[in-house]
Amino acid sequence: MKPNPTITNMKPVSRASLVGLATWLLAVTSSSAQVGDRVSFNRDIRPILSENCFACHGPDANHRKAGLRLDTFDGATKRHKGKAAVVPGKPDTSQLLARITANDPEERMPPKASEKTLSPRQVNLLRRWIAQGAEYERHWSFIPPQRPELPRVGRGDWGLNPIDAFILARLESESLKPSAEADKRTLIRRLYLDLTGLPPSVEQVHAFVNDNKPDAYERVVDALLASPHYGERMAMHWLDLVRFADTVGYHGDQDHNISPYRDYVIKAFNENKPFDQFTVEQLAGDLMPKRDGVDDLWRQVATGYNRLLQTSHEGGVQQREYLAKYLADRVRNVSSVWLGVTMGCAECHNHKYDPLTQADFYSLGAFFADVDELGTFRGSNSLPTRRPPEMPAPNIAQATELKQIDAELAALNDPAAAALSEADAAKVKSMQARRDAIVKQFRLTMVTRSVAPREIRVLPRGDWLSDAGSVVQPAVPETLGALDVSSGRATRLDLAKWIASRDNPLTARVFVNRLWRLFYGNGLSNVLDDVGAQGEWPTHPELLDWLAVEFMNSGWDVNHMVKLMVMSRTYRQSSLVSDDLLKRDPFNRLYARQSRWRLQAELVRDTALTNSGLLVRTVGGHSVKPYQPAGYYQHLNFPTRTYKHDASDSQWRRGVYMHWQRVFLHPMLLAFDAPTREECAADRPTSNTPRAALALLNDPTFVEAARVFAQRVMREGGRSVDERIAFAFETATSRRPTNVEIGILRNLYTKHHTQFSKEPAAAEALLKVGLKPLPDDLARPELAAWTSVARAILNLNESITRN
Amino acid sequence: MTDDMDIVSMTHANDHNLTLSRRAFLGSTSFGLGAVALSTLMDPVTANGAALHHAHRFAPRAKRVIFLTMAGGPSHLESLDYKPKLAQMHGKPMPASFTKGQPIAQLQGHKLVCQGPLFKFHKHGQSGQEIAEVFPGIASIADDIAIIRSMHTDQINHDPAHTVMNTGTSISGRPSMGSWVTYGLGSEANDLPGFVVLTSKGGRNPQPIATRQWGAGMLPSRHQGVEFQSAGDPVHYVSNPAGYDRNRQGDVVDAIGALNRLRNASVRNPAIDTRIAQYELAFKMQMSIPQLMDITDESPDTLDLYGVKNGLDGSFAANCLLARRLAERGTRFIQLYHRGWDHHNGLVHFMKICAGLCDGPSAALVKDLKQRGMLDDTLVVWTGEFGRTPMAQSNKGAVGRDHHMRAFSLWMAGGGVKGGVTYGATDDLGYNAAENPVHVRDLHATMLHLLGLDHDRLTVRFQGLDLKLTGVLEPARVVSPILQ
Repeated sequence: MKPNPTITNMKPVSRASLVGLATWLLAVTSSSAQVGDRVSFNRDIRPILSENCFACHGPDANHRKAGLRLDTFDGATKRHKGKAAVVPGKPDTSQLLARITANDPEERMPPKASEKTLSPRQVNLLRRWIAQGAEYERHWSFIPPQRPELPRVGRGDWGLNPIDAFILARLESESLKPSAEADKRTLIRRLYLDLTGLPPSVEQVHAFVNDNKPDAYERVVDALLASPHYGERMAMHWLDLVRFADTVGYHGDQDHNISPYRDYVIKAFNENKPFDQFTVEQLAGDLMPKRDGVDDLWRQVATGYNRLLQTSHEGGVQQREYLAKYLADRVRNVSSVWLGVTMGCAECHNHKYDPLTQADFYSLGAFFADVDELGTFRGSNSLPTRRPPEMPAPNIAQATELKQIDAELAALNDPAAAALSEADAAKVKSMQARRDAIVKQFRLTMVTRSVAPREIRVLPRGDWLSDAGSVVQPAVPETLGALDVSSGRATRLDLAKWIASRDNPLTARVFVNRLWRLFYGNGLSNVLDDVGAQGEWPTHPELLDWLAVEFMNSGWDVNHMVKLMVMSRTYRQSSLVSDDLLKRDPFNRLYARQSRWRLQAELVRDTALTNSGLLVRTVGGHSVKPYQPAGYYQHLNFPTRTYKHDASDSQWRRGVYMHWQRVFLHPMLLAFDAPTREECAADRPTSNTPRAALALLNDPTFVEAARVFAQRVMREGGRSVDERIAFAFETATSRRPTNVEIGILRNLYTKHHTQFSKEPAAAEALLKVGLKPLPDDLARPELAAWTSVARAILNLNESITRN
Repeated sequence: MTDDMDIVSMTHANDHNLTLSRRAFLGSTSFGLGAVALSTLMDPVTANGAALHHAHRFAPRAKRVIFLTMAGGPSHLESLDYKPKLAQMHGKPMPASFTKGQPIAQLQGHKLVCQGPLFKFHKHGQSGQEIAEVFPGIASIADDIAIIRSMHTDQINHDPAHTVMNTGTSISGRPSMGSWVTYGLGSEANDLPGFVVLTSKGGRNPQPIATRQWGAGMLPSRHQGVEFQSAGDPVHYVSNPAGYDRNRQGDVVDAIGALNRLRNASVRNPAIDTRIAQYELAFKMQMSIPQLMDITDESPDTLDLYGVKNGLDGSFAANCLLARRLAERGTRFIQLYHRGWDHHNGLVHFMKICAGLCDGPSAALVKDLKQRGMLDDTLVVWTGEFGRTPMAQSNKGAVGRDHHMRAFSLWMAGGGVKGGVTYGATDDLGYNAAENPVHVRDLHATMLHLLGLDHDRLTVRFQGLDLKLTGVLEPARVVSPILQ
């Protein structure tokens, strides 16, 4: 169903130009040493060694060939039978060079079986590196970031925001010029979609277009950062990382109680909770000093993070096996979410490319040995299943109200004050009653409770049956540092504090790199889940470090970083691209323009609902069930499942609240590349397939949205057909249509109006799609024809694209 | 991934297919090599550009695969692996030498007692393959199939064992074999999915099955399997909204295309070109899928052969017929699941039901492919996700058998596989794959080999590794003795 997205109405490109393209790409991402420059180990050499040599001559001692390791200076320069792989300053006596240039295929490295070959350019780089002394450097992301000096640039208007200085300096060195600022309509649409995930209304677009004050743009930015929908948008990304879902993931994939955790995340972003605190609360909120009232509740809710892993309630599960699976799942997730390194492979063997050992893997897992999860094994096949420990928790609105009540109660019950008046006593009573009523509405949510830690052993080759491995204590990966354990066993709290601290070189870099992806379309280091040796040397290493340091210096202030990014000139550029620039930088790694992309799955839904006016903007709360094809859950069992879509206002809530069934994710979400959230997803692919086309065309959610959009068009869009078309078009795309565009839609309208007038039953059938009541006062054939127009508009590439 | 990246798939597809019509490469070639170049160019520092080009190493014997998954785990001891010694040991304690230190599923804490075969076996065909009496259909194609009696896997419960069978590992989120195959070879179907999943059930209370089993993992998502539904739209959202006939829907699709083209004239966004093409294709599929599902052109003899009585009713029989229709239209990988083989109790009763539903149609599929000349280049595989214990399970009523990962059996036919051979053997009691053991990864390597692909070279870059269907830990081998 998903043929390759290709088309031929472009001029064929010659093989030569393709090769040119590839060569250029190599140059852009590595910006490697020119002849005569000093070769940098991290930029130029490590990628070559990692890709071609480390699998056999790297950190994994158990699978090392010929006792040779090339990932350290000592290893590379050690003499074997009088010879050394690398002799600093002497390429011609270095065995490494001899072997990679050997004519004898038996001698030649990398061996034929590896299917890897070094290019002459790579051989030359290695030669020059050895000649220059063969200096090794720690892997870039393992070195604590230092704040670099801002580069000097030739344009005053691009020197104010540090981001622009770094971007422009690189562009100038490549003799490229930045693009002009995007037009105001594009800009405001971009800001709304990036910061809230919702498109601006026509009125909001007009207000911005007509606002000529110098701070017009910044005021929009500030307003959007203050919008409650900002937290929803940021949460989408975080929920992908931590694999938040409504179901257990394995076997019967039963629902579990967790939706308050999503509220916590949304609230945290909306309140701009410092990222270090956000980190600690999720990993170890239960171990933090108790606080009063509602705030402490949220900390407990935050610890739901530790419970988000996949569990099984299958009859034959072996407790021991699944405890091992859960440990591995947690290590994979923590290392991906915060450290941006891939530790999964170290479950069975030492990492092949990074200095991460199997002991590191189990030591990191040992931090979670105190998480009480035996309740999982008593879990039932009920819906939701129970996975104690769980606790009742408020939603965002309830929490806000509770906090208010508690403050007022505290004021009234001031022990220093005189006895309560009769009126106040009554007030206290009624407030107390209200408080009790709210608490009764709390939803259950899984939390973390600490118990005596299990013994954790290294499992040889990941074999959970084995007792042969040594017992490990909680520890952070050795290559990244060590915790002070003088006061006893290190805890999750110690781990969490270390993760979000200056002692850890990774967390800040990883987070700002992913933020950058949200606003510029690529990461500065573009393998978002791996900043290790097999990741990518950043296109702008100084900028990445500058941002990481700025993030820490600001007190891990997320909004500060977001604002810095969206206020930059770099961000505000047009995303249109000339042929020349496309050729020079096809993937926009240098940012001489903005990137453009199709909206994420949830936002495709949100924009259609917004345009139609159907969107219910309640923030927080339980998960919701939109329309879904009948029978989709037929393969679920224990218990069998029948999906019932919401018949209330919940039907039209935002995509971020959609019920996330891990093993049968909603087909619309799947069609638009939402991850199943079985594992950490640092980035989503953007496919362009017939399945997505079918979903947007025919999913009742979008058909209903088109019909209700049509109602709006008839009521608010003016009198004439053309006025209405223009209104609908501008609502969906934030720009006025051209006359030709209006003409195409007018033809569609006229044709379908005629047809639906003759076929009232067809009109009636179309208009009955969806739960939203059909108003009596709008003529059916007309409304049906406008529904066709609305469907066409909602399906435009432009309607689901952020430019 | 931003919109401009679409340019690469285009430039590459053009580079390789200058002479191909658009129809041809929408359907096929660009799936395979185009995808390779795409990943190469998009990630130039780390991608191993050579890997996939070089994955096409052998002359392909099979062009497509029909994979019949007997979900739940049929007993090898009552199907393809005759164990007279187990009959002799019936009722006696299972020797601890077999079970000590071994993982056990539902028999944890129970006495382990040998259970002799519950059905008789006979020799069939000129080759004399031994097949249990409940499978007369499979017996009738004995000379066309290769039986492997020495299969084994890593996982003892359904969900993870299916995940191993489909993706080579029990970790969620890895690409499934169908998506690997379409990634490596593309699809020959112009307006149908390249990887289709069909499901049926019947027998004991069925185990759940997850979309993970046909996911694309870190491969481009167009390689994801598409499950055809037996009720409602066969493919999600393939029907027009109420009130629309094909012409009316066409008007809307045309307007979308015209507006997208206009817009693209000024913004020149390669993703728009792609989207226009995908809407046209989607519209085409709205016709081709109903045509596929319309079986009025099948002869009564054919319907009888499969045992299709009520049209495409979601039965295993109907799905076998549909599988052949998909194969004819160029779908590369067709996977059937029949859920009902988890026979912890009432094994005799439930085995009869499951065999009654699956045995005849499985054989009919092989015969039908053969009579149409398609068996030579269609590989058919019939297997569960694991086997069942030689020990009785008696704690749930009439006797059954528990999950077993150390040994199970499967058969394959067509696509370059020898007929009439049995390969490998279990020990006397059917507990361990003893002679010529074949791990699931060896099965994968063999399937890819038959399709002309080198399993060591069919890779995708993920988290710093060149990920393969056959994994990184243990070497996988092609089971050459069963190949023609």
